[in-house]
Amino acid sequence: MPLVLDRVEKSFPGVRALKGASLVLAAGEIHALMGENGAGKSTIIKIITGVHKPDAGKVSLDGKEISLSSPRTAISLGISAVHQERNLIPRFSIAENILLETLPVHRGLIDFRRANTEAHRHLQMVGLDIDPATEVRRLSVAQMQMVEIAKALSHDAKVLLLDEPTASITDAESETLFRLVRQMRDRGTAILFVSHKLEEVLSLCDRVTVLRDGETTLTSAPMKGMTRRTLIEAMIGRAERPIIPRASTPIKGLPKLEVRNVATKSGHRRISFSLRKGEILGLYGLVGAGRTELARALIGKEKVTSGVILVDGKVARPRSVADAIQRLRMGYVSEDRKHEGVILAHPIRSNIAITIWSRIANRFGFLTKKLEREIAEPLSRQLDIRSPSLEQIVGALSGGNQQKVSLAKWLAADVDILIVDEPTVGIDIKAKAIFHELLNALADKGLAILLISSDMPEMIALADRILVMHNFRIIDDLVNDKGYDTTSLAIMSAIHTVEQASEDQRTAMSQQWRPEP
Amino acid sequence: MNKMFEFAIRRQWSGILAVIIAGAIGLSIVTPAFLTSFNWFVMLRSVCVSILVAFSQMVMLGVGQMNLSVGALGGLAAIIVGGLMDAWGWPALPAIAFALMVGGVAGFINGWLTVRTGINGFIVTLATASAFAGINLGITKAVPFYNLPSNFLAFGNGKIGFFPILLVVPVIVTFFLAVFFSRSVEGRYLLAVGGNSTSAELSGISVSRAIVISHVISGLLAAAAGVLAVAQLGSAQPTIGADWLVISFAAPIIGGASLSGGSISIVGTVIAVLLVGLIQNAMVLLAVDPYWVTFLLGALILVAVWINRYRAVHLDVD
Amino acid sequence: MRSCLNDKFSRTPSRGIADLLIRGSARFGLLFILLVLWIVFSSLSPGFLSRFNLGSMFRSVAVDVVVGCAQMVVLATGGMNLSVGAIGVCAVMSVGYFLQVLNLPLPIAILATLGVGGLLGWLNGVAIAKTGVNSFVVTLASASLFSGGMLILTKGVPLNALPPALGSFGRMSFGPVPALALVTIAIGVVLHIAFFHTTLGRQILAAGANARAAEMSGIRVNRIVVVAHSLSGMLAAAAALMLTARLGAAMPSVAGDDWVLPSFLAPVIGGTALSGGEVSVVGAILGALLVATIRSGLLILQIGDFWLQLFLGVFLLAAIMFERYRATLMLRQQVRRL
Repeated sequence: MPLVLDRVEKSFPGVRALKGASLVLAAGEIHALMGENGAGKSTIIKIITGVHKPDAGKVSLDGKEISLSSPRTAISLGISAVHQERNLIPRFSIAENILLETLPVHRGLIDFRRANTEAHRHLQMVGLDIDPATEVRRLSVAQMQMVEIAKALSHDAKVLLLDEPTASITDAESETLFRLVRQMRDRGTAILFVSHKLEEVLSLCDRVTVLRDGETTLTSAPMKGMTRRTLIEAMIGRAERPIIPRASTPIKGLPKLEVRNVATKSGHRRISFSLRKGEILGLYGLVGAGRTELARALIGKEKVTSGVILVDGKVARPRSVADAIQRLRMGYVSEDRKHEGVILAHPIRSNIAITIWSRIANRFGFLTKKLEREIAEPLSRQLDIRSPSLEQIVGALSGGNQQKVSLAKWLAADVDILIVDEPTVGIDIKAKAIFHELLNALADKGLAILLISSDMPEMIALADRILVMHNFRIIDDLVNDKGYDTTSLAIMSAIHTVEQASEDQRTAMSQQWRPEP
Repeated sequence: MNKMFEFAIRRQWSGILAVIIAGAIGLSIVTPAFLTSFNWFVMLRSVCVSILVAFSQMVMLGVGQMNLSVGALGGLAAIIVGGLMDAWGWPALPAIAFALMVGGVAGFINGWLTVRTGINGFIVTLATASAFAGINLGITKAVPFYNLPSNFLAFGNGKIGFFPILLVVPVIVTFFLAVFFSRSVEGRYLLAVGGNSTSAELSGISVSRAIVISHVISGLLAAAAGVLAVAQLGSAQPTIGADWLVISFAAPIIGGASLSGGSISIVGTVIAVLLVGLIQNAMVLLAVDPYWVTFLLGALILVAVWINRYRAVHLDVD
Repeated sequence: MRSCLNDKFSRTPSRGIADLLIRGSARFGLLFILLVLWIVFSSLSPGFLSRFNLGSMFRSVAVDVVVGCAQMVVLATGGMNLSVGAIGVCAVMSVGYFLQVLNLPLPIAILATLGVGGLLGWLNGVAIAKTGVNSFVVTLASASLFSGGMLILTKGVPLNALPPALGSFGRMSFGPVPALALVTIAIGVVLHIAFFHTTLGRQILAAGANARAAEMSGIRVNRIVVVAHSLSGMLAAAAALMLTARLGAAMPSVAGDDWVLPSFLAPVIGGTALSGGEVSVVGAILGALLVATIRSGLLILQIGDFWLQLFLGVFLLAAIMFERYRATLMLRQQVRRL
């Protein structure tokens, strides 16, 4: 019997997350929920799991209207979920985490032996061979993800929600997951599968619902006969527009930034590349490849343990972030916009001028709001930041505009080297286009740009060269001929080859984890 | 033997225990008065109150909160139990029960306010501390209650060999707390909320309930500490609880508790209290300025926290 | 996002006093409550507005405000300083020592005492920045360390034979305004300018609002923490100096634990965020005035000083609840505008 969301609405201060979303989830089906970041997927998930209550619209289960007032209510109604962020109690054992809602009790006290035995059973189902008494904080990210999956499966729920479950696990582990999910579907569970990976969704799911800007554009469409094109159109509003590729070429001469044989505390080894003025160098890799960590090492946040970094030919290892910004004139548009890119509680002008406060202040350290406004105004116009005034606090802006502020402060600082980390995630189409044009224009002006992106079309359209990263190493360095198919194929096969090799290695060592045949 | 050694090394409190043993040995060499039956009686009796005070805060740290009203609450319970027996002539047991009940209710108020208003627990308990202290002063007008029934006083002074009868209370409480936090569902849920309140919530655990329950337990423990203090002193002084705040945090922290929540050590807390008790005893025996205790307490906290961080960062232990 | 909305820029029209109280600046609301209380108290007892009462009230407020400022500058960074009282005691005894024992000239003694406060604060800041340990724990520990150390050195003996210049300054006033109050106002003005119009102040507020974002924008957060704590220590020492001037003697029994609660009360009531990134000097002044008014009023009306503690605690909660209610209303209004 289905879970039905009928024209659900939900608003938060400053943003209308859902404007009328509908969803029909039937028993015994794997139902995909797709949409770009910011389309409203996580809000729907939070409503179904009882974290938020809708402002309008109905939610019904088995034909009866229900009120999901808390996660406990959702769980008691048979709704189970694997969320995107890790949701385990770090110092508790695997067994305690899996059985948290249903700890076996004997004479008033927890029976840990029974708990471990039961947990072991669930772990075996997902192919994880670890002592269930192990503290969860000692596990790898992938192992934690599998524990969470085991936990969700252990509930034998009526409705199972999976939010980007394959984000941090390997292909082989994903195959195990898919097999289990199909088994559950055959047993009658209703499964909502949230993912942005088109291939996964096309092969695994029975039906699909697509969200765009808080509304459903495709509702419960059957997957049979569905095409990539239709899905993408539903997600972004029109056919996948080919991004106009960069025309100009980088400036010849001494590379602006040169990295030779660098190793970092996070685990990078033998990182070598060079970045020229006027060049956009792409850094591609899957989640966990170590791209952001590398960026953070370059900007001085993480420690570089060996190797040489040269800026304008001179040895220049950043001693701190402040040092990298001031001495080496580097900038970093952070991947985590809300926590690192902007200060949500402060106004736009302050967020833009923050990188140059010491520069615009007078001899005694005095600066005025007027000075800040003078800096912020032209940049705000250039980037088309939509806001009634520069005094508006950034937290009240849309994601796209927040990201523009996050970029503006580096333009204010007039940096020479700019590292941009996933710049267009969670941003609407128009803002994305502005960003791409901007990056192009900045490169044309002579800026050296390192672009980190998981968006293949974006990467191929913008980058002059592409570095492929995997497991904290650079495995390939391609010149981008701007042909989507050839370049994307080259990138993916480079990754695939390396993954296959390490997979074989792991099988040979037959360590903790055995992939299912 | 090797296994035991490994076990000891991994435990955070093993260092403190070593210091205690070394200190005790040193003290007994330096001053013969240390090893007398009377001295041990006095020393053990003084840690009774401190252990409960430390537990009162430890419970809050377990759930990821803090209770700044531990001293004021305990002091209020102290003068209530004294006042009931002195001014109203109540027998000991009902007076104690009433004082404990007040502690529980006060704790409930703390918890309810924190949860209902959404105000930071720091501010809430800072405010209620002031309120409780005010009520204390208002009732006593700064005059202690002296007239306590003899069976109550006997409880406070009684001993078996050099073990004070008072010690029974912290021993029982220690046992209960140990079982509560390691083997009961409710206790594990408290630690789950402290460890990661979002995850706990998503698993259906009620964070509000956990906070309220921990405040109630904290209040009960603080009240119990107040009652024991009255028994120990032989009178209900309105100043009871005035200096409890520092030790309430110091002991659990030195014992290895994490300020962010979800990680506490009952054994560590007790051992930390023993260490402080030993230091205080040493100060008295050696006729050293009592202010040294205050000074050393501060230094100890800093050293303990630094060591914890060092271990966590460099040794990847714990 | 609690109280971070910039009320000044809402566009909907106001509708009367209640609306103004709610939507207007928090400081305006405080001022309003303050005036109401003054009217109530003075009508219940005319002695409230007497020169003596006002003078005495302003003198103690002067100290309270500076104590509140000492806490405020650390709250701005998102931390807290539980050792304000202990540093105060150290400063009190230091100035006594400098004046009575070392016989230093007054201006030198004052500077040296401020230096002591700054040094102790600096130690706090360095400990926090270098070890990464929570400011709560570090300052809890240093409070014990400082006050214990101070009492060991002085054996708790008050110093009464201070040069009369200090005491007479403490008693001096220009009309109804005590000289000490002028000192406070001067400190307040400097702090206000520092926070809102200098690089350092902006950096402190940024680090307090979001330390990660601040660091990734090039602000040296560790250095900021050290500076803030040093400043806090100096302000605590300044408050101690003012208190010593008022009392005419250096006594180790004052300051100390008495200062901790008021040091939070004044700024928090006045709108300084406990989580950091937002301060209000005007608010701290109004907050301290509010607390002093209530204290003075209750005293005049002869409601026991004992019950004052209870009332203060309740009042603090009520004030904060009101502020949160205000903030929630503002948030809801913003949503409706969509």
